[in-house]
Amino acid sequence: MIKLDPRTKLLLLLAEAIVVLGGLGGSSAEPFKTVFMVLPFLLLFSAKKVRTAVIGGLLLGLGLAAEFIPAGHSCSIILLMCSGILTRFVPSIMMGNYVMSSTKVSEFTAAMERMHVTQKITIPMAVMFRFFPTVKEECSAIGEAMKMRDIRFGGSKVLQMAEYRLVPMMTCSVKIGEELSAAALTRGLGSPVKRTNVCRIGFHAADIVMFLLCAAALGWIIWRSVT
Amino acid sequence: MTELKDVSFSYAAAPEKGCIKHMDLTVPDGQFLLLTGGSGCGKSTVIRLLNGLVPHFFEGELSGDVLIDGRSVPKMELYETAAMQGTVFQNPRAQFFTVDTTGELAFGCENQGLPEEEILSRIDRTVERFRIADLMDRNIFAMSGGEKQKIACASVDTAQPPLILLDEPSANLDYASTMQLREIIKLWKAEGRTIIAAEHRLFYLWDIADRALLIRDGSIAEDWSRADMDSMTNEKLAEYGLRSIHDTDPVTIELSCSRSEVFSVKPHKKFTFPTEIPLHEITAVVGRNGAGKTTFLRHMCRSAKRSRRIFMVMQDVDHQLFTDSVLEEVLISLPDEDEEKAREILRSLDLEDYADRHPMSLSGGQKQRVAIACAAASGRDILLFDEPTSGLDYEHMQQTAQLFRQLREQGRTILVVTHDSELIEACCTDIIRLE
Repeated sequence: MIKLDPRTKLLLLLAEAIVVLGGLGGSSAEPFKTVFMVLPFLLLFSAKKVRTAVIGGLLLGLGLAAEFIPAGHSCSIILLMCSGILTRFVPSIMMGNYVMSSTKVSEFTAAMERMHVTQKITIPMAVMFRFFPTVKEECSAIGEAMKMRDIRFGGSKVLQMAEYRLVPMMTCSVKIGEELSAAALTRGLGSPVKRTNVCRIGFHAADIVMFLLCAAALGWIIWRSVT
Repeated sequence: MTELKDVSFSYAAAPEKGCIKHMDLTVPDGQFLLLTGGSGCGKSTVIRLLNGLVPHFFEGELSGDVLIDGRSVPKMELYETAAMQGTVFQNPRAQFFTVDTTGELAFGCENQGLPEEEILSRIDRTVERFRIADLMDRNIFAMSGGEKQKIACASVDTAQPPLILLDEPSANLDYASTMQLREIIKLWKAEGRTIIAAEHRLFYLWDIADRALLIRDGSIAEDWSRADMDSMTNEKLAEYGLRSIHDTDPVTIELSCSRSEVFSVKPHKKFTFPTEIPLHEITAVVGRNGAGKTTFLRHMCRSAKRSRRIFMVMQDVDHQLFTDSVLEEVLISLPDEDEEKAREILRSLDLEDYADRHPMSLSGGQKQRVAIACAAASGRDILLFDEPTSGLDYEHMQQTAQLFRQLREQGRTILVVTHDSELIEACCTDIIRLE
């Protein structure tokens, strides 16, 4: 397993967004674009998130394959759009998934402290780590309850479906969010005392490789755009 | 010493519910005080007054003073109070800040800015005393409710507060986990910590507490000493609307009925589940943690999917109420939407007054009743319930038992997975034990 510093992960996420999602540098950045498309999958495999990587890989493959379908067809515009969305978004989502699933909350706060980010920004971001899996848990419980009561898509209830799903999800999320903040506050979160952090973070060889990769990509894009 | 001096409080959001009226209370150091009373009596508010969530997080009208070791909690900042008390909350899903167990144990100490070596040695000490080495470095989302609650206690323990507060910590726990919680509390008591617990499940705390208060409408109605507690009987407690103090393991209860008519369940691939369910009875399904109680219910649902005879009400009612009014909720459960019929069901369950209320604005017990109304409306004849009384006080538990009896009289079959021996004694007619 490759262990990266949370700061490196944030840099990779940024690079991913610029090169693949933003498409900076256009066609001249093509070689790096390919590298950054593959990288999140390698990282996911190294973190043993095989299932996520395979699903993401299939989606990306679908998007890439759609580009080869000959144009001129009546729905080729839609196909092209779908392909564009998949190839741009999937790698970034996969990278986000890797960062969220492989970083512990305490590692993240430690990294933010090292970068001298204030608690006002760090705490809400740390809560997000905790919040997404919670919402996911709630969502699947609600889905199961709906199945039990035979509320499914179709018929005259298509619009209501969205409402039925969203209303309990929102009330549950708000309730849990409130309970979470109450619990954290009774345990001294937000104290002006300088926080200790028991987890150790730091840069290693893998981090340096990633830094060089990002620097090279940036350098390449700048060099190609001036010449 | 922990004191409440002529404290009155009402929440800004809901002034009637859980308010406190002119309460005076002194808890000497090292005492284990049990707060009890029905839902909404104000026992949780007392806990919140002591950990500072009232008035700093839950706003409202406060008068009087709350003191821990002579320092006023309402005047202190929350992070200052944090160093003096530790709180274990009711919902095991919503009291963690981190996602991994080790980070969670360190969290309170980190906030106090303790040196790293000190924190690590405290974690080691807690892990050893609580015997939770196997739970370390794990993802909290992958843990059971009992394990989560153990971690919550452990993370309070590492911060070593002199005052420990517990707000219905067993509400979501089964019998075995509840008994483990009891052991942890005994450990704290032996160390001389002051412990204040708000609970309505009394059986696991009654014999180890030093004193118990009955709270009614925001005031102290009874103040029982250890001697008073020893002479208390279940009958007397029931008159006060309190739960049993007898420690009955649901697995040991004996019940049987004739089983003249049965519903057959297909055998499960992995588990050896019972294949016959007595019809028109209220059957309790009991078993230890991990005996596959929930798997059994799921299996029943799946195997009878075609026949559409089974309806299941899950433990957390918040997840299964979707619409914006109670009436609508029952309407979508009916096979064909018929308002007359829906109102009739609501009437039979004493819910007619709430027909236009939003389900989420109801109390826990009322929501539970709406969920049962939906089950009744579904027209299916076999109703499954997963831990329907886990967070309910005596009165609401009896109400649920009454509803079950009513449904049985209508000819329905009820199967209830539960660890609540009082509910079993109140209404069940048969019992199935899962090994």
